[in-house]
Amino acid sequence: MRIGILMTPSFSSRRSPLMPAVLALLRQWGASVEVIYPEDRCTHLGALKVEHDLYVLRSETELGLSVAGALHAIGAQCLNPWPAASLMRDKIAALRRLLAAGVPMPETYVVCTPQRLARLLEDGPVMVRPFRRSRGRGARLFWDGDDLDAAGEGPCIAQRYHAPDAADGCERKIYCIGGQLFGVLRRAPARTASEKAGEPFSITPELRRIALACGEAFGVELFGLDIIFSSGRPYVVDVHSFPGFKGVPDAPLRLADYIYAAAQRVLAGESVARAIAANTPLKVTPATPVEAVPA
Amino acid sequence: MKALIFGPGRIGCGFVGQVLRKAGYELTFAGRGTVVDNLARVRAYRVRLTDGNHARDEQYDVTSVRAVQTSDVAGVRAAAAEADLIAVSVCPDNLHVIAKVLAAALLSRTSPVDVIAFENCTDPGGSLREAVLLCAPELASKGHGFSSALVSRIVTGRQGEPSKNAPLVFLGDRASTFVVDGTTLRNPLPPIEGMRVVDNFRAWAMKKLYTFGAGHAATAYLGALKGYRYVHSAIRDPEIRAAVLAAMEEGRQGLLRRYGLELAGTHAELHEILARFDNAALNDPVTRVGRDPLRKLRPDDRLVGAARLAQEAGVSPSRLAMAAGAALCFVCALDRAACPAPAATVRTVAELDPIRGLGRAVLEAFAQLVQGREDDNVLLSLEGHVWSWSRRDAAELGKA
Repeated sequence: MRIGILMTPSFSSRRSPLMPAVLALLRQWGASVEVIYPEDRCTHLGALKVEHDLYVLRSETELGLSVAGALHAIGAQCLNPWPAASLMRDKIAALRRLLAAGVPMPETYVVCTPQRLARLLEDGPVMVRPFRRSRGRGARLFWDGDDLDAAGEGPCIAQRYHAPDAADGCERKIYCIGGQLFGVLRRAPARTASEKAGEPFSITPELRRIALACGEAFGVELFGLDIIFSSGRPYVVDVHSFPGFKGVPDAPLRLADYIYAAAQRVLAGESVARAIAANTPLKVTPATPVEAVPA
Repeated sequence: MKALIFGPGRIGCGFVGQVLRKAGYELTFAGRGTVVDNLARVRAYRVRLTDGNHARDEQYDVTSVRAVQTSDVAGVRAAAAEADLIAVSVCPDNLHVIAKVLAAALLSRTSPVDVIAFENCTDPGGSLREAVLLCAPELASKGHGFSSALVSRIVTGRQGEPSKNAPLVFLGDRASTFVVDGTTLRNPLPPIEGMRVVDNFRAWAMKKLYTFGAGHAATAYLGALKGYRYVHSAIRDPEIRAAVLAAMEEGRQGLLRRYGLELAGTHAELHEILARFDNAALNDPVTRVGRDPLRKLRPDDRLVGAARLAQEAGVSPSRLAMAAGAALCFVCALDRAACPAPAATVRTVAELDPIRGLGRAVLEAFAQLVQGREDDNVLLSLEGHVWSWSRRDAAELGKA
């Protein structure tokens, strides 16, 4: 069993322990695991070959994603297929797809620069995120048009801010590993290590339905969602193709179990790709509001 | 020497055939389907034994085998007529199915022969004899031996496509001992590597079932509840590992009290069993190990039988009861529509009183485990009984 994991070189001392633990388990189980850092290589594109039974795209960089795309083009089997990962990386396309799938989200706008959000702010604050950054990085809340001058440049998405219900001061993460859903409640802002890890909670049927709809929308079984509750209503505010699964009980073991099973399926001649291809357009749900970008 | 083996499956090929061939027997397999066709055509198969380190894998080519379909009555009779030993490995529930064919084969013999049933239960030889005599009562006076054997090896699967002309490969771990009931043998067996002939077979069967078997089943049932796909991953879960070790220790305590240390073994041996469950090279799904849960819930079988013996020793079998409760969940997961009432299963299958004692403990464990169980659900904690999702009202769950 040969598994290739596309990863981002980490220079941080706060590196997540998730992947080292997953790699260790897979190796103990007899898999030959190669960690591939596209940034550290000179990849001869013409000589690129499928050398592993299964690839796992963990890299968060554009280069990593593109190398996954190149491998996809020559028939590599990837646990989180490149079309879906690529779509999920593009927040504009991803969020629109979720809207089309009937997933509840705050009103969402796309602008080429944050400065164009001034009129939106007249109706209340908005959360602004770079359209290709993941895991909430670069997210910023704007209350006033005067602040937009310091907002930087570049295309971004803006979502109407819904103040989280203050009852518990927690944000909710839903993670999916191989179709199994896990809810994690995390205090915001988290200060201590245990607050950052969060604690598991039982997902309600409503949140389960939402999470399953997200997975179906992209045809993936490995993803994470950020959900807030405001006035008792859930809103999905972000989606990730390969989150850190922090707070999921025994996450490395569960992830390794899933990867191992997927590799076994490949060895048995099956495909790991889900029946619903991520490049299939979704039928727009009639109830989904389609917002116009203000001039 | 010639041997006829009924059941060219995991144990039949992956253990019995290998050890008998190594001991010098010429083998004929009798069975059904494409595997028999492959063996008849290729006349060989391979056994690969692994402890997880592939550098140390051992391979045995079992050659010069013959195979006949059980529908080929004349072929089976011919093989039986010249066999010095007949082995049966068809799964305990299929012993009565093979009995008719075996009875017809034995009727064709002019001399008595030993028939050894290699099955994971306490008296498979006796069950087989009973079933054969039901088909042909006249065999009672022919002097055939009906003995039982238990193998230590885990054989998890078969690789290769039977329709092709390549030898099939049977994958197992390196355990190679087996125990034969010497009291029911007609003739002494020739020396066979790994064989131990005993006169207290039932005790040895209980040892295997109530430690290894109980631990294996508990790993599968608890692993299934917690959403693991493989035995080797389930046993890595700290909660499951602790529960499985405790369940095996409960069984061992029962054996210790009844049979003493030599047979019961030490606690350290239980860790050796855990190490075998860790073997990922076996690639053993929890669904395979957990299959046939109702058989595994029978009164003398690995969970309830071990728990009863533990109780006799004054040990409270709480972890075995939990594993039996998890087995009841597994029954329901297999076919929710046909899921029998748990109390009825406890009464009729396990033959326990559902309202007191062990029966009550099993049902209470089941009730705790199953509360909130839904399709595609994952139990996050064996102790806290927290499920990954729940139908309970959001307010009840703290507005989750």
